[in-house]
Amino acid sequence: MRRPGVGWLRGPAAAVALLLLAAAAVPAAAAAQGQARPGRIVSLDLCTDQLLVELVERGRIAAVTHLAADPAVSAIPEMARGISITRGVAEDVLRYDPDLVLAGPFGVSATVDLLRRLGRNVVVVPLPSELSGIAAAVRTVAAAVGEPAKGEAMLARFERRLAQLGPPAEPRPTAVIYQIGGSVSGPGSLADAALAAAGFRNMVAAYRLTRGGQVPLEVLIARPPDLLVLSSAPDEYRTVLADNLRHPALAALRARRPSLELPWRHWLCGTPRIADAIERLAEARAALQAHRQ
Amino acid sequence: MSAAARARRLGPARLLAVLGAAAVGAFALSLAVGPAGIGIDAGGEARSLILTEIRLPRALLGALVGGSLGLSGAALQGYLRNPLAEPSLVGISGGAALGAVLAIHLGLSQALALALPAGGLAGAALAMIAVVALAGAHGGPLTLILAGLAVSSIATALIALALNLARNPFASVEMVFWMMGSLADRSLAQLWLSAPLMLAGMGLLLTVGRTLDALTLGEDAAQSLGLDLARARLLVVAGTALSVGAATAVTGIIGFVGLIVPHVLRPFAHHRPGLLLPASLLGGAVMLLLADVALRLLQPVVELRIGVLSALIGAPFFVWLVFKTRSELAP
Repeated sequence: MRRPGVGWLRGPAAAVALLLLAAAAVPAAAAAQGQARPGRIVSLDLCTDQLLVELVERGRIAAVTHLAADPAVSAIPEMARGISITRGVAEDVLRYDPDLVLAGPFGVSATVDLLRRLGRNVVVVPLPSELSGIAAAVRTVAAAVGEPAKGEAMLARFERRLAQLGPPAEPRPTAVIYQIGGSVSGPGSLADAALAAAGFRNMVAAYRLTRGGQVPLEVLIARPPDLLVLSSAPDEYRTVLADNLRHPALAALRARRPSLELPWRHWLCGTPRIADAIERLAEARAALQAHRQ
Repeated sequence: MSAAARARRLGPARLLAVLGAAAVGAFALSLAVGPAGIGIDAGGEARSLILTEIRLPRALLGALVGGSLGLSGAALQGYLRNPLAEPSLVGISGGAALGAVLAIHLGLSQALALALPAGGLAGAALAMIAVVALAGAHGGPLTLILAGLAVSSIATALIALALNLARNPFASVEMVFWMMGSLADRSLAQLWLSAPLMLAGMGLLLTVGRTLDALTLGEDAAQSLGLDLARARLLVVAGTALSVGAATAVTGIIGFVGLIVPHVLRPFAHHRPGLLLPASLLGGAVMLLLADVALRLLQPVVELRIGVLSALIGAPFFVWLVFKTRSELAP
């Protein structure tokens, strides 16, 4: 992973210095770009919503998805509250007469094509499924919205938080992120990357999953991980699919072994906010290892 | 050897004993098979947890749900004197699923766990009353199927609407659960909720045997024998609503069990509806338990839902029945 300019920076003072630097850089960058800074920005993806809201002042944001203010899936629901909501179809996007549309790579290609044919400026952000891709996503959004310095500052804070975790101790404990319906986060997912960064081995590799990517409950009970991570509280969702999280056998397992509820808003999106998830996992790992000694 | 020839060699007690033994065997198989290995590939505490908290409720639910579906199929076919009557085909299962979905997504089942099977029961009863009202008391098999199709289409649409209105990120996956059913990872909690109602419903249905036997002679003949047909109708409606409603509320819609089982067993039951009822209860349990075992053995190769498997077995059978009914109805 690239860690630009972090080697010589350590501690809170450095962070403040970076922030000041970033703040000073903003007017300069804006001046350099003249009127190129878009002022009516629409975002079509939960993850671009979050980057946009953190990088740009409210006045320039025209609309985001309804998910941005949803505390179940958004890492920054309070910051996004009150911003207009787009339903994401081209007609609705055009209502805002956007001078920049941010989209993710998935699920909206027809809308993106149509908006481009109508002459709108659409930037498709490469949303990462690994930590090393976060920098590219942040830089793409920061450049598009005309806030490159803020983007660099955001990345520098992220790098600093990861660097503070230090190298994970061997042997690495195992963990599984167990979700509604028995789905688990496997290799190639952000959650898997977060587990690795926090010093865990994803136990999923040792299981025979169903074709749908689920771990049957009895397999989980037969070979439990050192740490069981639940992506939601058992009673968070009114759905029959969450019955697996309310299952007495899972409750019995949780009574015997360490488990952690780590809501998926912390690791759904590859933004620097995923450091929250990694830090909580790293704390759980430290507790596990302290308990063992 | 023809089915009839075989049937002659099997007395009623013998038939039920054979089916009972098959049900016990299928139940034991169901306990032995699972994703954690044949037997259980785990140590002490995990092993007993898997056996008592995961496989036992799964096997018990398989037996009770299969029994409910088989028995109610036999009772509906006998009472309506209609070879195509079956809980899922005539929309009763759909109504039950809708009731359960509403109970969950309106938060009723969180406030009171019993609201879940109660919702299933109410949905099943309403669907059944609607179907019988639509088809009319003397409608033929095809009218009944049409009425059932109408009711189950409405139920399916309303389930989809409810799941989408609930702003549930899992709406589409949950739809699959309700439409195709599942016995996977159900718990003793769901068993306790549904088993008493299923057993009560089965108890009611088993009492109508004598009336159904008399009904084979026609309604007038049955009434002249002093049988209370209105009471029998109430028992069939209540028994089906209780057993299918409670079953569907915890496992989703599992189709065709109530169609195949009575038809396969009818020659062995000497075409007597009264004997066919307990035989179909046991036969339904055997069929669903074995289908669920097959499902788990197939799992590494293909991922099937129990409702998909029962439809794969049942739908061709349904096609054959439609042909047969058509030729019998032909002028």
